[in-house]
Amino acid sequence: MHSFGHRANAVATFAVTILAAMCFAASFSDNFNTPTPTASVKILGINWFQKEANGNDEVSMTLNISADLSSLFTWNTKQVFVFVAAEYETPQNALNQVSLWDGIIPAKEHAKFLIHTTNKYRFIDQGSNLKGKEFNLTMHWHIMPKTGKMFADKIVMTGYRLPEQYR
Amino acid sequence: MDWQGQKRAEMLMQVLLVASAVAAFLVGYVRGDFQLMLLVYAGGVVLTALVTVPNWPFFNRNPLKWLDAAEAERHPRPQVSATGAAAGGKKKSGKNK
Repeated sequence: MHSFGHRANAVATFAVTILAAMCFAASFSDNFNTPTPTASVKILGINWFQKEANGNDEVSMTLNISADLSSLFTWNTKQVFVFVAAEYETPQNALNQVSLWDGIIPAKEHAKFLIHTTNKYRFIDQGSNLKGKEFNLTMHWHIMPKTGKMFADKIVMTGYRLPEQYR
Repeated sequence: MDWQGQKRAEMLMQVLLVASAVAAFLVGYVRGDFQLMLLVYAGGVVLTALVTVPNWPFFNRNPLKWLDAAEAERHPRPQVSATGAAAGGKKKSGKNK
């Protein structure tokens, strides 16, 4: 601490060390938030359902996605990535996940939404297993913090079924 | 800056930085505003730098009292004996600078 430069250096290093501790504390404070998100997805209709030339089933559907994810947001949340996936079981795979729609929520004000859309990404099976297939629609989200630990969770919605016949 | 001043500057720096960090975190958490926390803390760091980095008169209240050159000549330091002078002599010359 005997010179100007030495003292300036000491202030800078100690300040940054404390800043790291503050970031840690901010990330830790996220644990005190107990979110209560809600989500529901309605399938308004099957637009078409067919077998492609290569033998894979593909289906196009119109979805009504509504969710209230505002309780996920804390003071340390930068944005939330959310996606809806169709999940089902086939003889080859215990779990198939096909992402149908996704979105980035940049702020708490946009976390309550209702979206009417056809599937943004193609719903194609690895094979021909979709006829009459029962599947879940799962809303997954990843919370991206300003600093610290990322959180991910999901809401599983069950009881959806594809038609018995191509159309 | 004298010895007491250096001790005081370091103590002051640590106390001010920790205090501004605690204040910034509380303000940010209560207001739910991460950027506000950073701004309050940045203000605290600038204030701390202004208080503790320059050589303020506040840090020079206990100046070292050196002996007068004339006084030192009146009391010459004891001469080192010839035996073991190599090691001892080196040490002394370093201290004298």
